[in-house]
Amino acid sequence: MSGTTAKLLARHQFFQGARLAARRNPYRCLSCSAQNAQQQNTPPPPGQDAPKTTHFGFETIAEALKEQKVGAVFSSVASSYDTMNDLMSLGIHRLWKDYFVRNLNPGSNPLTSPSTTVQGWNILDIAGGTGDIAFRMLDHASTINNDAHTRVTVADINPDMLAEGRKRALETPYARSPRLSFVEANAEHLTNIPGNSIDLYTVAFGIRNFTNKDAALREAFRVLKPGGVFACLEFSKVNNSLFDAVYKRWSFGAIPLIGQLVAGDRDSYQYLVESIERFPSQTEFRDMIKDAGFLVPGRGWEDLTGGIAAIHKGVKPIKAQN
Amino acid sequence: MTFTTSLKHAIPKLREALSCPLTRQICLYHSYEYSQPAPFSTSESAILSSAITHVPNYGFTPTALKLGARDAGYLDVSTNLLPRGVFDLVNYHLVTQRLALKDTVQFPAEGDLKPGEALEVGVKVRALVLSRLRANGLIINRWQEALAIMAQPSYMSSSIAELARLADEIWFLAGDTSVDTSWYTKRASLSAIYSATEVFMTQDQSTNFADTEKFLDARLEDSLKAESFLAGLGDWADYTGHSFVNLLRSKGMRI
Repeated sequence: MSGTTAKLLARHQFFQGARLAARRNPYRCLSCSAQNAQQQNTPPPPGQDAPKTTHFGFETIAEALKEQKVGAVFSSVASSYDTMNDLMSLGIHRLWKDYFVRNLNPGSNPLTSPSTTVQGWNILDIAGGTGDIAFRMLDHASTINNDAHTRVTVADINPDMLAEGRKRALETPYARSPRLSFVEANAEHLTNIPGNSIDLYTVAFGIRNFTNKDAALREAFRVLKPGGVFACLEFSKVNNSLFDAVYKRWSFGAIPLIGQLVAGDRDSYQYLVESIERFPSQTEFRDMIKDAGFLVPGRGWEDLTGGIAAIHKGVKPIKAQN
Repeated sequence: MTFTTSLKHAIPKLREALSCPLTRQICLYHSYEYSQPAPFSTSESAILSSAITHVPNYGFTPTALKLGARDAGYLDVSTNLLPRGVFDLVNYHLVTQRLALKDTVQFPAEGDLKPGEALEVGVKVRALVLSRLRANGLIINRWQEALAIMAQPSYMSSSIAELARLADEIWFLAGDTSVDTSWYTKRASLSAIYSATEVFMTQDQSTNFADTEKFLDARLEDSLKAESFLAGLGDWADYTGHSFVNLLRSKGMRI
Protein backbone atom coordinates (compact mmCIF):
# COMPACT_ATOMS: atom_id res chain seq x y z
CA MET A 1 0.00 0.00 0.00
CA SER A 2 2.73 2.36 0.95
CA GLY A 3 4.39 1.45 -2.38
CA THR A 4 1.34 2.51 -4.43
CA THR A 5 0.92 5.68 -2.38
CA ALA A 6 4.52 6.58 -2.97
CA LYS A 7 4.12 5.85 -6.70
CA LEU A 8 0.96 7.93 -6.88
CA LEU A 9 2.60 10.74 -5.00
CA ALA A 10 5.62 10.61 -7.24
CA ARG A 11 3.41 10.70 -10.35
CA HIS A 12 1.44 13.58 -8.91
CA GLN A 13 4.60 15.49 -8.20
CA PHE A 14 5.92 14.70 -11.66
CA PHE A 15 2.86 16.12 -13.36
CA GLN A 16 2.78 19.11 -11.13
CA GLY A 17 6.43 19.72 -11.80
CA ALA A 18 5.88 19.42 -15.52
CA ARG A 19 2.96 21.79 -15.36
CA LEU A 20 5.00 24.28 -13.38
CA ALA A 21 7.85 23.96 -15.81
CA ALA A 22 5.48 24.52 -18.68
CA ARG A 23 4.18 27.65 -17.03
CA ARG A 24 7.61 28.95 -16.25
CA ASN A 25 9.27 28.13 -19.58
CA PRO A 26 6.58 28.01 -22.22
CA TYR A 27 7.78 26.67 -25.55
CA ARG A 28 8.78 29.69 -27.54
CA CYS A 29 8.28 30.21 -31.20
CA LEU A 30 7.51 33.33 -33.18
CA SER A 31 3.74 32.87 -32.95
CA CYS A 32 3.79 31.88 -29.27
CA SER A 33 5.93 34.88 -28.43
CA ALA A 34 3.49 37.12 -30.21
CA GLN A 35 0.61 35.47 -28.34
CA ASN A 36 2.41 35.84 -25.07
CA ALA A 37 3.02 39.45 -25.83
CA GLN A 38 -0.64 40.03 -26.44
CA GLN A 39 -1.69 38.20 -23.32
CA GLN A 40 0.82 39.95 -21.15
CA ASN A 41 0.12 43.33 -22.63
CA THR A 42 -3.03 43.48 -20.54
CA PRO A 43 -2.24 45.35 -17.35
CA PRO A 44 -2.31 43.36 -14.12
CA PRO A 45 -5.53 43.70 -12.12
CA PRO A 46 -5.37 46.72 -9.88
CA GLY A 47 -4.66 45.61 -6.37
CA GLN A 48 -3.67 47.51 -3.28
CA ASP A 49 -0.53 45.58 -2.55
CA ALA A 50 0.24 44.34 -6.09
CA PRO A 51 3.95 45.00 -6.75
CA LYS A 52 4.83 47.40 -9.60
CA THR A 53 5.59 45.44 -12.74
CA THR A 54 7.73 46.00 -15.79
CA HIS A 55 8.69 44.13 -18.95
CA PHE A 56 11.39 41.54 -19.19
CA GLY A 57 11.27 40.69 -22.86
CA PHE A 58 7.68 39.56 -23.40
CA GLU A 59 7.26 38.54 -19.76
CA THR A 60 5.82 40.83 -17.14
CA ILE A 61 7.75 40.72 -13.90
CA ALA A 62 8.01 42.69 -10.70
CA GLU A 63 10.12 45.84 -11.04
CA ALA A 64 12.43 44.70 -8.29
CA LEU A 65 13.30 41.58 -10.26
CA LYS A 66 14.17 43.19 -13.61
CA GLU A 67 17.53 44.59 -12.59
CA GLN A 68 18.55 41.22 -11.25
CA LYS A 69 17.36 39.33 -14.32
CA VAL A 70 19.01 41.74 -16.77
CA GLY A 71 22.14 41.43 -14.66
CA ALA A 72 22.05 37.67 -15.10
CA VAL A 73 21.61 38.01 -18.88
CA PHE A 74 24.60 40.28 -19.29
CA SER A 75 26.78 38.34 -16.89
CA SER A 76 26.21 35.30 -19.03
CA VAL A 77 26.88 37.03 -22.36
CA ALA A 78 29.82 39.24 -21.31
CA SER A 79 32.58 36.95 -22.56
CA SER A 80 31.06 36.17 -25.94
CA TYR A 81 29.61 39.66 -26.40
CA ASP A 82 31.67 40.70 -29.41
CA THR A 83 31.46 37.46 -31.38
CA MET A 84 27.73 37.34 -30.81
CA ASN A 85 27.20 40.95 -31.86
CA ASP A 86 29.13 40.32 -35.06
CA LEU A 87 27.14 37.20 -35.86
CA MET A 88 23.75 38.63 -35.00
CA SER A 89 24.15 41.92 -36.86
CA LEU A 90 26.39 40.52 -39.61
CA GLY A 91 29.04 42.99 -38.45
CA ILE A 92 26.84 46.02 -39.03
CA HIS A 93 26.87 46.99 -35.34
CA ARG A 94 30.46 48.21 -35.85
CA LEU A 95 29.34 50.53 -38.62
CA TRP A 96 26.53 51.86 -36.46
CA LYS A 97 28.88 52.53 -33.55
CA ASP A 98 31.48 54.15 -35.82
CA TYR A 99 28.83 56.37 -37.35
CA PHE A 100 27.38 57.23 -33.94
CA VAL A 101 30.76 58.46 -32.70
CA ARG A 102 31.74 60.23 -35.94
CA ASN A 103 28.40 61.98 -35.97
CA LEU A 104 28.87 63.27 -32.41
CA ASN A 105 32.39 64.45 -33.31
CA PRO A 106 33.78 64.38 -29.75
CA GLY A 107 36.77 66.50 -28.77
CA SER A 108 37.77 70.14 -29.20
CA ASN A 109 40.70 71.07 -31.36
CA PRO A 110 43.18 72.90 -29.09
CA LEU A 111 44.16 75.22 -31.96
CA THR A 112 40.72 76.78 -32.14
CA SER A 113 39.81 76.60 -28.45
CA PRO A 114 40.52 79.59 -26.27
CA SER A 115 42.94 78.51 -23.54
CA THR A 116 40.76 79.90 -20.78
CA THR A 117 38.07 77.25 -21.13
CA VAL A 118 38.26 73.80 -19.63
CA GLN A 119 40.00 71.56 -22.10
CA GLY A 120 38.40 68.52 -23.60
CA TRP A 121 34.95 67.07 -23.16
CA ASN A 122 33.66 65.19 -20.18
CA ILE A 123 31.88 62.17 -21.63
CA LEU A 124 29.79 59.72 -19.66
CA ASP A 125 29.14 56.43 -21.43
CA ILE A 126 26.28 54.67 -19.69
CA ALA A 127 25.87 50.91 -20.07
CA GLY A 128 29.16 50.94 -21.95
CA GLY A 129 30.76 48.13 -19.97
CA THR A 130 32.79 46.61 -22.76
CA GLY A 131 34.11 50.02 -23.78
CA ASP A 132 33.01 49.77 -27.41
CA ILE A 133 31.86 53.38 -27.53
CA ALA A 134 34.43 54.75 -25.07
CA PHE A 135 37.46 53.61 -27.09
CA ARG A 136 35.94 54.97 -30.29
CA MET A 137 35.24 58.31 -28.60
CA LEU A 138 38.81 58.62 -27.34
CA ASP A 139 40.24 57.55 -30.71
CA HIS A 140 38.10 60.10 -32.52
CA ALA A 141 39.00 62.91 -30.12
CA SER A 142 42.73 62.14 -30.31
CA THR A 143 43.18 61.45 -34.00
CA ILE A 144 40.54 63.62 -35.65
CA ASN A 145 40.39 66.58 -33.29
CA ASN A 146 43.94 66.36 -31.83
CA ASP A 147 42.40 66.59 -28.40
CA ALA A 148 44.40 64.88 -25.66
CA HIS A 149 42.15 65.97 -22.81
CA THR A 150 38.73 64.51 -23.52
CA ARG A 151 37.79 62.04 -20.79
CA VAL A 152 35.35 59.15 -20.85
CA THR A 153 33.75 57.63 -17.79
CA VAL A 154 32.32 54.22 -18.53
CA ALA A 155 29.45 53.38 -16.23
CA ASP A 156 27.75 50.01 -16.16
CA ILE A 157 25.54 48.28 -13.66
CA ASN A 158 27.14 44.94 -14.39
CA PRO A 159 30.60 44.17 -12.93
CA ASP A 160 31.16 41.33 -15.43
CA MET A 161 30.74 43.67 -18.39
CA LEU A 162 33.05 46.22 -16.71
CA ALA A 163 35.65 43.52 -16.17
CA GLU A 164 35.46 42.71 -19.88
CA GLY A 165 35.93 46.41 -20.66
CA ARG A 166 38.93 46.75 -18.32
CA LYS A 167 40.50 43.73 -19.95
CA ARG A 168 40.01 45.21 -23.39
CA ALA A 169 41.26 48.63 -22.31
CA LEU A 170 44.68 47.06 -21.75
CA GLU A 171 45.03 46.73 -25.52
CA THR A 172 44.37 50.45 -26.05
CA PRO A 173 46.65 53.42 -25.28
CA TYR A 174 44.16 54.63 -22.67
CA ALA A 175 44.48 51.78 -20.16
CA ARG A 176 46.49 53.64 -17.51
CA SER A 177 45.70 57.20 -18.54
CA PRO A 178 43.35 59.44 -16.56
CA ARG A 179 41.25 59.81 -19.70
CA LEU A 180 39.41 56.54 -19.17
CA SER A 181 37.73 55.33 -16.00
CA PHE A 182 35.25 52.61 -15.17
CA VAL A 183 32.54 52.90 -12.53
CA GLU A 184 29.79 50.59 -11.46
CA ALA A 185 26.61 52.63 -11.39
CA ASN A 186 22.88 52.42 -11.91
CA ALA A 187 21.75 54.83 -14.62
CA GLU A 188 18.62 55.67 -12.64
CA HIS A 189 20.61 56.89 -9.62
CA LEU A 190 23.97 58.30 -10.67
CA THR A 191 24.73 59.28 -7.11
CA ASN A 192 28.49 59.59 -7.53
CA ILE A 193 28.22 61.91 -10.54
CA PRO A 194 27.56 65.58 -9.70
CA GLY A 195 24.88 67.56 -11.54
CA ASN A 196 25.79 69.87 -14.46
CA SER A 197 29.15 68.16 -14.96
CA ILE A 198 28.90 66.18 -18.20
CA ASP A 199 29.24 67.45 -21.80
CA LEU A 200 28.05 64.33 -23.53
CA TYR A 201 25.98 61.48 -22.17
CA THR A 202 25.89 58.43 -24.43
CA VAL A 203 24.05 55.18 -24.11
CA ALA A 204 24.46 52.61 -26.86
CA PHE A 205 22.21 49.55 -26.86
CA GLY A 206 21.60 49.93 -23.15
CA ILE A 207 18.53 52.01 -22.41
CA ARG A 208 16.31 49.15 -23.60
CA ASN A 209 17.28 47.19 -20.50
CA PHE A 210 16.60 49.92 -17.96
CA THR A 211 13.78 49.26 -15.55
CA ASN A 212 12.63 52.86 -15.53
CA LYS A 213 13.62 54.70 -18.71
CA ASP A 214 12.02 57.99 -17.67
CA ALA A 215 14.01 58.04 -14.43
CA ALA A 216 17.20 57.39 -16.41
CA LEU A 217 16.36 60.26 -18.78
CA ARG A 218 15.71 62.61 -15.86
CA GLU A 219 19.01 61.56 -14.32
CA ALA A 220 20.75 62.22 -17.65
CA PHE A 221 19.19 65.68 -17.68
CA ARG A 222 20.50 66.31 -14.17
CA VAL A 223 24.12 65.32 -14.77
CA LEU A 224 24.44 67.15 -18.10
CA LYS A 225 25.79 70.70 -18.25
CA PRO A 226 23.41 73.24 -19.82
CA GLY A 227 23.98 72.79 -23.55
CA GLY A 228 25.12 69.21 -22.98
CA VAL A 229 23.94 66.43 -25.24
CA PHE A 230 22.13 63.17 -24.57
CA ALA A 231 22.80 60.69 -27.37
CA CYS A 232 21.32 57.24 -27.58
CA LEU A 233 22.00 54.48 -30.07
CA GLU A 234 19.32 51.84 -29.77
CA PHE A 235 17.35 49.27 -31.71
CA SER A 236 14.16 50.71 -33.09
CA LYS A 237 11.30 50.00 -35.45
CA VAL A 238 11.84 49.11 -39.09
CA ASN A 239 9.93 51.42 -41.43
CA ASN A 240 9.46 49.18 -44.47
CA SER A 241 6.95 46.40 -43.79
CA LEU A 242 8.56 43.97 -46.24
CA PHE A 243 12.00 44.49 -44.73
CA ASP A 244 10.39 44.27 -41.30
CA ALA A 245 9.04 40.79 -42.07
CA VAL A 246 12.50 39.60 -43.09
CA TYR A 247 14.06 41.25 -40.06
CA LYS A 248 11.53 39.67 -37.66
CA ARG A 249 12.24 36.25 -39.17
CA TRP A 250 15.93 36.79 -38.61
CA SER A 251 15.65 38.17 -35.10
CA PHE A 252 13.14 35.65 -33.72
CA GLY A 253 14.36 32.68 -35.75
CA ALA A 254 18.10 33.01 -36.13
CA ILE A 255 19.34 35.06 -33.18
CA PRO A 256 18.25 32.73 -30.34
CA LEU A 257 19.61 29.83 -32.38
CA ILE A 258 22.98 31.54 -32.88
CA GLY A 259 22.96 32.28 -29.14
CA GLN A 260 22.38 28.63 -28.37
CA LEU A 261 25.06 27.38 -30.75
CA VAL A 262 27.78 29.96 -30.11
CA ALA A 263 27.25 31.19 -26.56
CA GLY A 264 25.36 28.14 -25.31
CA ASP A 265 22.65 30.41 -23.94
CA ARG A 266 19.36 30.55 -25.78
CA ASP A 267 17.31 32.34 -23.13
CA SER A 268 19.54 35.42 -22.93
CA TYR A 269 19.28 35.99 -26.65
CA GLN A 270 15.57 35.27 -26.64
CA TYR A 271 15.36 38.05 -24.05
CA LEU A 272 17.45 40.29 -26.33
CA VAL A 273 15.10 40.03 -29.31
CA GLU A 274 12.00 40.33 -27.16
CA SER A 275 13.33 43.44 -25.45
CA ILE A 276 14.03 44.96 -28.89
CA GLU A 277 10.42 44.24 -29.86
CA ARG A 278 9.22 45.86 -26.65
CA PHE A 279 11.25 49.07 -26.97
CA PRO A 280 9.17 52.18 -27.88
CA SER A 281 9.08 53.39 -31.46
CA GLN A 282 11.15 56.33 -32.73
CA THR A 283 8.42 58.90 -32.14
CA GLU A 284 7.45 57.55 -28.71
CA PHE A 285 11.05 57.59 -27.53
CA ARG A 286 11.57 61.06 -29.01
CA ASP A 287 8.60 62.26 -26.97
CA MET A 288 10.04 60.65 -23.84
CA ILE A 289 13.27 62.61 -24.41
CA LYS A 290 11.26 65.81 -24.89
CA ASP A 291 9.27 65.13 -21.74
CA ALA A 292 12.49 64.87 -19.74
CA GLY A 293 13.16 68.52 -20.73
CA PHE A 294 15.51 68.13 -23.69
CA LEU A 295 15.43 70.04 -26.96
CA VAL A 296 15.53 67.60 -29.85
CA PRO A 297 17.44 68.42 -33.03
CA GLY A 298 15.32 68.33 -36.19
CA ARG A 299 12.74 65.57 -35.99
CA GLY A 300 14.67 64.03 -33.07
CA TRP A 301 16.17 60.86 -34.45
CA GLU A 302 18.07 59.35 -37.34
CA ASP A 303 17.32 55.86 -38.64
CA LEU A 304 20.15 53.43 -39.33
CA THR A 305 19.75 50.50 -41.74
CA GLY A 306 16.09 51.20 -42.42
CA GLY A 307 15.22 51.72 -38.76
CA ILE A 308 16.72 48.55 -37.25
CA ALA A 309 18.64 50.96 -35.05
CA ALA A 310 18.17 54.68 -34.50
CA ILE A 311 20.19 57.52 -33.03
CA HIS A 312 18.18 59.77 -30.73
CA LYS A 313 19.60 63.04 -29.45
CA GLY A 314 18.54 65.65 -26.97
CA VAL A 315 20.18 68.92 -25.94
CA LYS A 316 19.77 70.31 -22.45
CA PRO A 317 18.59 73.89 -22.85
CA ILE A 318 20.70 76.71 -21.40
CA LYS A 319 17.83 78.25 -19.50
CA ALA A 320 15.37 76.18 -17.53
CA GLN A 321 12.73 76.54 -20.23
CA ASN A 322 13.55 77.74 -23.70
CA MET B 1 -4.82 98.69 -55.05
CA THR B 2 -1.97 100.50 -53.36
CA PHE B 3 -3.99 101.27 -50.30
CA THR B 4 -5.22 97.71 -49.88
CA THR B 5 -1.72 96.32 -50.47
CA SER B 6 -0.18 98.54 -47.84
CA LEU B 7 -3.05 97.69 -45.52
CA LYS B 8 -2.48 94.00 -46.13
CA HIS B 9 1.21 94.49 -45.41
CA ALA B 10 0.32 96.24 -42.18
CA ILE B 11 -1.97 93.50 -40.88
CA PRO B 12 0.67 90.83 -40.12
CA LYS B 13 2.90 93.43 -38.50
CA LEU B 14 0.01 94.62 -36.37
CA ARG B 15 -0.73 91.04 -35.35
CA GLU B 16 2.90 90.50 -34.38
CA ALA B 17 2.84 93.71 -32.36
CA LEU B 18 -0.27 92.60 -30.52
CA SER B 19 1.16 89.06 -30.34
CA CYS B 20 -2.20 87.49 -31.11
CA PRO B 21 -2.22 83.77 -30.44
CA LEU B 22 -2.54 82.55 -34.01
CA THR B 23 -2.71 78.92 -34.95
CA ARG B 24 0.78 78.04 -36.03
CA GLN B 25 0.64 76.58 -39.49
CA ILE B 26 2.99 76.49 -42.39
CA CYS B 27 1.55 78.08 -45.52
CA LEU B 28 2.87 76.86 -48.83
CA TYR B 29 1.89 80.16 -50.44
CA HIS B 30 2.34 83.84 -49.73
CA SER B 31 -0.29 84.84 -47.24
CA TYR B 32 -0.94 88.21 -45.74
CA GLU B 33 -3.33 86.72 -43.22
CA TYR B 34 -0.99 84.40 -41.35
CA SER B 35 2.48 85.16 -40.14
CA GLN B 36 4.83 82.31 -40.94
CA PRO B 37 6.39 80.53 -37.96
CA ALA B 38 10.04 81.43 -37.44
CA PRO B 39 12.22 79.16 -39.60
CA PHE B 40 14.62 78.39 -36.75
CA SER B 41 14.06 77.75 -33.05
CA THR B 42 15.53 80.25 -30.60
CA SER B 43 18.44 78.04 -29.58
CA GLU B 44 19.21 77.08 -33.18
CA SER B 45 19.26 80.67 -34.34
CA ALA B 46 21.35 81.68 -31.31
CA ILE B 47 24.07 79.19 -32.33
CA LEU B 48 23.78 79.76 -36.08
CA SER B 49 23.72 83.55 -35.96
CA SER B 50 26.93 83.62 -33.92
CA ALA B 51 28.46 80.90 -36.08
CA ILE B 52 27.88 82.90 -39.27
CA THR B 53 30.12 85.68 -37.91
CA HIS B 54 33.01 83.19 -37.81
CA VAL B 55 32.54 82.16 -41.44
CA PRO B 56 34.89 84.80 -42.96
CA ASN B 57 37.73 83.38 -40.81
CA TYR B 58 36.91 79.70 -40.55
CA GLY B 59 34.62 79.04 -43.50
CA PHE B 60 31.56 76.84 -43.46
CA THR B 61 33.17 74.31 -41.12
CA PRO B 62 32.36 72.52 -37.87
CA THR B 63 34.92 74.87 -36.26
CA ALA B 64 32.80 77.91 -37.10
CA LEU B 65 29.80 76.09 -35.63
CA LYS B 66 31.64 75.24 -32.41
CA LEU B 67 32.91 78.81 -32.00
CA GLY B 68 29.40 80.08 -32.65
CA ALA B 69 27.98 77.74 -30.02
CA ARG B 70 30.55 78.99 -27.50
CA ASP B 71 29.72 82.62 -28.27
CA ALA B 72 26.06 81.90 -27.69
CA GLY B 73 26.85 80.39 -24.28
CA TYR B 74 26.57 76.77 -25.39
CA LEU B 75 29.16 74.00 -25.36
CA ASP B 76 31.07 72.52 -28.29
CA VAL B 77 28.90 69.45 -28.04
CA SER B 78 25.74 71.54 -28.42
CA THR B 79 26.37 71.74 -32.18
CA ASN B 80 24.63 68.36 -32.21
CA LEU B 81 21.45 70.40 -32.03
CA LEU B 82 21.91 70.93 -35.77
CA PRO B 83 21.13 67.58 -37.37
CA ARG B 84 22.77 68.43 -40.71
CA GLY B 85 25.86 70.13 -39.28
CA VAL B 86 27.54 72.60 -41.64
CA PHE B 87 24.70 72.39 -44.14
CA ASP B 88 22.47 73.89 -41.48
CA LEU B 89 24.86 76.83 -41.35
CA VAL B 90 24.68 77.27 -45.14
CA ASN B 91 20.92 76.86 -45.02
CA TYR B 92 20.69 79.47 -42.28
CA HIS B 93 22.46 81.99 -44.49
CA LEU B 94 20.22 81.13 -47.45
CA VAL B 95 16.97 81.36 -45.51
CA THR B 96 17.77 84.50 -43.52
CA GLN B 97 19.03 86.36 -46.61
CA ARG B 98 15.96 85.31 -48.59
CA LEU B 99 13.64 86.54 -45.86
CA ALA B 100 15.66 89.75 -45.50
CA LEU B 101 15.06 90.67 -49.15
CA LYS B 102 11.62 92.12 -48.54
CA ASP B 103 13.08 94.55 -46.00
CA THR B 104 16.33 95.45 -47.74
CA VAL B 105 14.82 96.28 -51.14
CA GLN B 106 12.12 98.93 -51.02
CA PHE B 107 10.41 100.03 -54.18
CA PRO B 108 8.53 103.33 -54.28
CA ALA B 109 4.82 102.71 -54.03
CA GLU B 110 3.09 103.16 -57.39
CA GLY B 111 1.05 106.07 -56.13
CA ASP B 112 4.21 108.09 -55.43
CA LEU B 113 5.40 107.87 -59.02
CA LYS B 114 4.37 110.11 -61.84
CA PRO B 115 2.46 108.37 -64.62
CA GLY B 116 4.81 106.74 -67.14
CA GLU B 117 7.53 106.38 -64.54
CA ALA B 118 6.35 103.08 -63.09
CA LEU B 119 9.10 100.53 -62.52
CA GLU B 120 9.03 97.58 -64.84
CA VAL B 121 8.97 94.11 -63.34
CA GLY B 122 12.29 93.34 -65.04
CA VAL B 123 14.00 96.31 -63.33
CA LYS B 124 12.67 95.19 -59.98
CA VAL B 125 13.88 91.64 -60.55
CA ARG B 126 17.34 92.93 -61.40
CA ALA B 127 17.45 95.06 -58.25
CA LEU B 128 16.32 92.14 -56.09
CA VAL B 129 18.82 89.69 -57.58
CA LEU B 130 21.65 92.19 -57.11
CA SER B 131 20.64 92.83 -53.53
CA ARG B 132 20.57 89.10 -52.81
CA LEU B 133 23.98 88.64 -54.43
CA ARG B 134 25.47 91.50 -52.42
CA ALA B 135 24.34 89.72 -49.26
CA ASN B 136 26.95 87.08 -50.16
CA GLY B 137 29.60 89.80 -50.44
CA LEU B 138 30.94 89.50 -46.89
CA ILE B 139 31.54 85.77 -47.16
CA ILE B 140 32.25 85.60 -50.89
CA ASN B 141 35.70 84.10 -50.30
CA ARG B 142 34.07 81.17 -48.53
CA TRP B 143 31.06 80.84 -50.78
CA GLN B 144 32.65 78.15 -52.94
CA GLU B 145 32.80 75.93 -49.84
CA ALA B 146 29.10 76.51 -49.32
CA LEU B 147 28.38 75.67 -52.95
CA ALA B 148 30.35 72.45 -52.54
CA ILE B 149 28.36 71.53 -49.42
CA MET B 150 25.09 72.30 -51.18
CA ALA B 151 26.13 70.07 -54.09
CA GLN B 152 26.53 67.01 -51.86
CA PRO B 153 23.97 64.40 -52.91
CA SER B 154 22.21 64.29 -49.55
CA TYR B 155 21.73 68.07 -49.45
CA MET B 156 21.10 68.64 -53.16
CA SER B 157 17.32 68.45 -52.98
CA SER B 158 17.10 70.89 -50.05
CA SER B 159 19.44 73.29 -51.86
CA ILE B 160 17.44 73.20 -55.07
CA ALA B 161 14.22 73.69 -53.12
CA GLU B 162 15.76 76.71 -51.42
CA LEU B 163 16.82 78.11 -54.83
CA ALA B 164 13.26 77.66 -56.07
CA ARG B 165 11.96 79.48 -52.98
CA LEU B 166 14.38 82.35 -53.64
CA ALA B 167 13.26 82.66 -57.29
CA ASP B 168 9.65 82.59 -56.16
CA GLU B 169 10.32 85.26 -53.52
CA ILE B 170 12.01 87.52 -56.06
CA TRP B 171 9.19 87.27 -58.62
CA PHE B 172 6.66 87.79 -55.87
CA LEU B 173 8.40 90.88 -54.49
CA ALA B 174 8.80 92.22 -58.03
CA GLY B 175 5.03 92.14 -58.27
CA ASP B 176 4.68 89.46 -60.91
CA THR B 177 1.10 88.18 -61.03
CA SER B 178 1.22 85.75 -63.94
CA VAL B 179 -0.99 82.69 -63.61
CA ASP B 180 -0.18 80.96 -66.92
CA THR B 181 2.65 78.58 -67.78
CA SER B 182 5.09 81.50 -67.67
CA TRP B 183 4.81 81.20 -63.86
CA TYR B 184 7.00 78.12 -64.19
CA THR B 185 9.32 79.30 -66.96
CA LYS B 186 9.99 82.59 -65.18
CA ARG B 187 11.01 80.83 -61.98
CA ALA B 188 13.08 78.25 -63.82
CA SER B 189 14.97 80.82 -65.88
CA LEU B 190 15.56 83.09 -62.89
CA SER B 191 16.89 80.14 -60.87
CA ALA B 192 19.32 79.33 -63.67
CA ILE B 193 20.45 82.95 -64.03
CA TYR B 194 20.83 83.43 -60.29
CA SER B 195 22.88 80.30 -59.72
CA ALA B 196 25.14 81.06 -62.70
CA THR B 197 25.73 84.62 -61.48
CA GLU B 198 26.41 83.36 -57.96
CA VAL B 199 29.15 81.07 -59.24
CA PHE B 200 30.56 83.89 -61.38
CA MET B 201 30.63 86.18 -58.36
CA THR B 202 32.92 83.82 -56.40
CA GLN B 203 35.66 84.59 -58.94
CA ASP B 204 34.89 88.26 -59.45
CA GLN B 205 37.98 90.40 -58.77
CA SER B 206 36.49 93.75 -59.80
CA THR B 207 35.74 96.49 -57.30
CA ASN B 208 32.28 96.42 -55.86
CA PHE B 209 31.38 93.42 -58.04
CA ALA B 210 30.99 95.51 -61.19
CA ASP B 211 31.75 92.48 -63.37
CA THR B 212 29.06 90.45 -61.63
CA GLU B 213 26.58 93.18 -62.43
CA LYS B 214 27.60 93.11 -66.09
CA PHE B 215 27.35 89.33 -66.14
CA LEU B 216 23.87 89.47 -64.63
CA ASP B 217 22.69 92.04 -67.19
CA ALA B 218 24.00 89.91 -70.03
CA ARG B 219 22.19 86.84 -68.70
CA LEU B 220 18.93 88.73 -68.20
CA GLU B 221 19.19 90.02 -71.77
CA ASP B 222 19.83 86.48 -73.02
CA SER B 223 16.76 85.27 -71.26
CA LEU B 224 14.64 88.01 -72.82
CA LYS B 225 16.00 87.05 -76.23
CA ALA B 226 15.35 83.37 -75.54
CA GLU B 227 11.87 84.22 -74.35
CA SER B 228 11.01 86.19 -77.50
CA PHE B 229 12.61 83.46 -79.60
CA LEU B 230 10.55 80.81 -77.84
CA ALA B 231 7.41 82.90 -78.20
CA GLY B 232 8.19 83.31 -81.92
CA LEU B 233 8.85 79.60 -82.21
CA GLY B 234 5.51 78.92 -80.53
CA ASP B 235 3.69 81.21 -82.93
CA TRP B 236 5.39 79.61 -85.90
CA ALA B 237 4.59 76.09 -84.69
CA ASP B 238 0.99 77.08 -84.06
CA TYR B 239 0.63 78.61 -87.54
CA THR B 240 2.37 75.72 -89.31
CA GLY B 241 0.38 73.14 -87.42
CA HIS B 242 -2.92 74.76 -88.26
CA SER B 243 -1.91 75.14 -91.91
CA PHE B 244 -0.95 71.48 -92.06
CA VAL B 245 -4.26 70.38 -90.56
CA ASN B 246 -6.16 72.63 -92.94
CA LEU B 247 -4.16 71.23 -95.85
CA LEU B 248 -5.13 67.69 -94.86
CA ARG B 249 -8.75 68.73 -94.46
CA SER B 250 -8.72 70.26 -97.95
CA LYS B 251 -7.63 66.84 -99.25
CA GLY B 252 -10.82 65.38 -97.77
CA MET B 253 -9.37 63.90 -94.59
CA ARG B 254 -11.80 64.02 -91.65
CA ILE B 255 -9.86 65.57 -88.76
